[in-house]
Amino acid sequence: MKRQLIFLGVIFLFILFLIQIPKGNGAIVSDDCGACHGLYPQMIEEIRAGNILCVNCHSNADRDTIKTLGGVRVPIVYNTVKPLKPLAGGNFYYVARDFGDRRGHNVDGITSQDAKFRGAPPGYNRAYDPSIIGYNPERPLTCAGSNGCHGNRNIKDPFEAVYGTHHAVDKPLDGSTTAKSYRYLKNTGKIKGVEGLEDDDWGDNSSSKKHNEYSPMIDNLCKGCHGDFHSMNKTGPWFRHPTGISLPRVGEYAFYNPDMPTLPDRPDIRIYNTGAPVGRKEIPDSPGNEVNPGKDIVICLSCHVAHSSPYESILRWDYDAIVSGEAGKGGCFICHTGKGE
Amino acid sequence: MSYRKRGIVEKVMATVTTPVSVTCSGYVRKPNDVADRRNRHRDRNHFTFILLYAICSLLFATVVDARVKGKCKDCHSMHYSYEGKEMTYGDRPGPFPVLTQGGCLGCHGQNPAGAENIITIGKARIPQVLHHMENGDLAAGNFYYVADGYNPDYSKGHNVSGISLQESPPMNTPPSFIGSVIIPGGIGPVEWPGQQQLTCAGTWGCHGDRTVEDPYKAIYGAHHADDSLIDGSTVGRSYRFLYGIKGKEHRDWEYQATVSSHNGYKGSIAHDTMDTISYLCGECHARFHPHPNLGGTVEVGYSTLWLRHPSEIAFSTVHGGYAGSEYQDYIRYSLEAPVAYINPTGGEEVVDENSIIMCLSCHRTHASPYPNILRWDYEKTSIGDITKEGCLTCHTRKGQ
Repeated sequence: MKRQLIFLGVIFLFILFLIQIPKGNGAIVSDDCGACHGLYPQMIEEIRAGNILCVNCHSNADRDTIKTLGGVRVPIVYNTVKPLKPLAGGNFYYVARDFGDRRGHNVDGITSQDAKFRGAPPGYNRAYDPSIIGYNPERPLTCAGSNGCHGNRNIKDPFEAVYGTHHAVDKPLDGSTTAKSYRYLKNTGKIKGVEGLEDDDWGDNSSSKKHNEYSPMIDNLCKGCHGDFHSMNKTGPWFRHPTGISLPRVGEYAFYNPDMPTLPDRPDIRIYNTGAPVGRKEIPDSPGNEVNPGKDIVICLSCHVAHSSPYESILRWDYDAIVSGEAGKGGCFICHTGKGE
Repeated sequence: MSYRKRGIVEKVMATVTTPVSVTCSGYVRKPNDVADRRNRHRDRNHFTFILLYAICSLLFATVVDARVKGKCKDCHSMHYSYEGKEMTYGDRPGPFPVLTQGGCLGCHGQNPAGAENIITIGKARIPQVLHHMENGDLAAGNFYYVADGYNPDYSKGHNVSGISLQESPPMNTPPSFIGSVIIPGGIGPVEWPGQQQLTCAGTWGCHGDRTVEDPYKAIYGAHHADDSLIDGSTVGRSYRFLYGIKGKEHRDWEYQATVSSHNGYKGSIAHDTMDTISYLCGECHARFHPHPNLGGTVEVGYSTLWLRHPSEIAFSTVHGGYAGSEYQDYIRYSLEAPVAYINPTGGEEVVDENSIIMCLSCHRTHASPYPNILRWDYEKTSIGDITKEGCLTCHTRKGQ
C-alpha cells in the first residue's frame, strides 16, 4: 500500500510538472486554445481581418517582452509602453510612437504609412522580389504575406500566409516548410526557407554564448524588398555596404569586437558580439561565442534589426553618434576597428 | 637623484599659511608650500604626473590630427539612399565607390561655385580642390580654372575625370610620358592609352598607390590611417596620400600660409630616391626629371647645358657655382616660388645653396589661373621686371 501511494505520488508530481511547463519556445504551440483563440472567438471567420490578429497576440500593454498566454510563452514585437529590453527582432514601440518613421517598419495595425516612402520599400527592385504577387506599395506593410516578411509571400493575406504554422512541426529548421523556416521566414513556397538557430527566448537576455544564429539566407529575405541594397558584386570597391561576404580576416576586421580579448592560443578567433552579429555558413547546433574572420559572414542584421529600433534606419546603434578618429567603441567600430581610434 | 638636487628640500623653510590636516589613512594634507618627508611621495607623484602629462601631451598632439575625425555619415552613405531616394551630387549619379557621398569630389569638390576652400562638417575639415573662393586657392591650386561649366581653360590645369573632359591630342596623354618607369611599389603603366583620362588616384592619377588601377582601391583606407608620421611607407603615411612621397603637410593646406609656416617639400639632388615630390611628377612627366629611373640627364641635360629646365638640383650645383650667382639673392623662402629641402620641416624661412629647385617651384599641381599650371603668368614675366616676381624670384639678375 505504501509503495502504491509513493507510486501514485510520483505520477501525480510528474503530471503536475508537465502541466507547469510553459510551451511555445519556438516549438509547436499547444495548450489552452482559448488563451489565443479566445481573444477572437470568430477568428477563423474573421480571417480577412489579417494583420491585426498577428499584432494583437504579439503585443503587450506592459514592459515585458515575453508574455504568457495560458501556458504558452509569446514573444512580443510591440509594447505599447517602452519595452524593458527589445527582443532580437527589435520592438515596434519605437516606430509606433512619435519617434519618426525612420526607426522601424511601418506595419499595419501598429502605425500608419511612412510619410516619405509612401509605402514603397527603399531600394525595392521587382527583379529581386521572388513573390509572384510582388510588393504592392498601395497596400500597407504587413507582418506576413506578399506585403510582409513572414510566411508565404505568394499569398496576399498575411494571416493566411502563416496559417497553421504555429501548430505545425517546426523542427528541424531546414527551410522545407514555413513552420520549419527560421522565425517562419519562408519567402515563397518554391524557395527554401531561411535556416538558422532560434534562441529559446527570442534574444532576451542574449550574450555571446546565448543568441540566435543567423544564416546568410536571411539576407535574401531582406533583398526581396530592398533588392538594390543587396549588391550582387562581391568585390570592392563597394558602392553600397556589402552583405553576404565574409568578414575579412585581414586588416581592421581581424580584430572584430576589440574590447574582448582572445585566447592566447587562438589569436585568430574573436568573441561574438550581439551588438553586431554575424551569419554562419553552417548553422551550429548551439550558439557559438566565437567569430571567425574570413569565414563568418556580414549580414543585413549585422547592423540592423528587423522590426524597429530606437535608432534611425532601424540600426542597432545611433549612427549619428558614431565618430571616427576619436577612440569610439561599439556600433560600426565593432567591425571597423581601425576607424574608431 | 636626491630631492635636494631637484630643489624640493628648499621648501622646508617655507611658511605655513594654511592649516595642515591628516586624513584617515594618515596622509598629511598640507599646503603646497610646505614639504617634508611624509609628503615627498606627493611631490614625487606630482613630478610623475607632470612627466606623464608631458608625454601624453606629446603623444596626443601627434595623434590628434592624425586621421579623419567625424561622423561616418558626413562622408559615407551606406546604401546610396536617403529618405527612400537615391542621392546625386551635382549632376553626377551614383552609387559611388567606397560608399562615399559622391566619390572624391563629393567631399573635396562639394560646391564648385561656393566660397569655401576648406569645408568643416562636424569635426572633419575637408580641403576643397574645386571652389570659387576669392584668394582661397590652396597649395595645389584650384580645379575651378579647368572645370567644365565654369568657363574652363584646359591649359591651366590637369583634366581630371569628373571635373573636365579629356583634352584633345596630343594633350590627352601626359607630356613627356615614358612607359614602365619605376614607381613606388612597382612599375608604372607600359603606355598611356589615348582614351584614358586622368583620375584623382591610382595608376592613371597622382594620389594613392599607382600600381593599383582602381582609384578608390589605390587610396583605400588612407583617410582613416594613422598619418602622424609621414614616411612614405603606406599611402596613409605619404605626403598628401601621394604614395611613397615624403614631406611636411601644412595644417591648412597652405591657406594663409606664411614664410615660416608652409608645406615642406622634399627634394633630393642625388637622384637616388623616389620619395621626392618631383619624382611623383616625373612618374608621368618622366622626360622632365633627371632621375635615372625617369628621363635622366639625357633628357634634362646637366649643369653646363640644360635641355629642359632642371628640377631636383640645388642652387649650389648651378653652372659656375653658387657664390656670386644670381640665385644667391634668393635668400628668404617665397610662397610664390617655393623650394624643396632634403629634410623639410615646413618652417624653413631661409633659402641657401642647399635649397632645391623642384617642379612645384614653378607649377601648381591641380590647376592655376595661368597656362601650364604655372604659379605666375609667364606671358607677363619679362627681363627687367623690377618686381622680381615669378621666374625672377630665383633668376634675380634677369630682373635688373
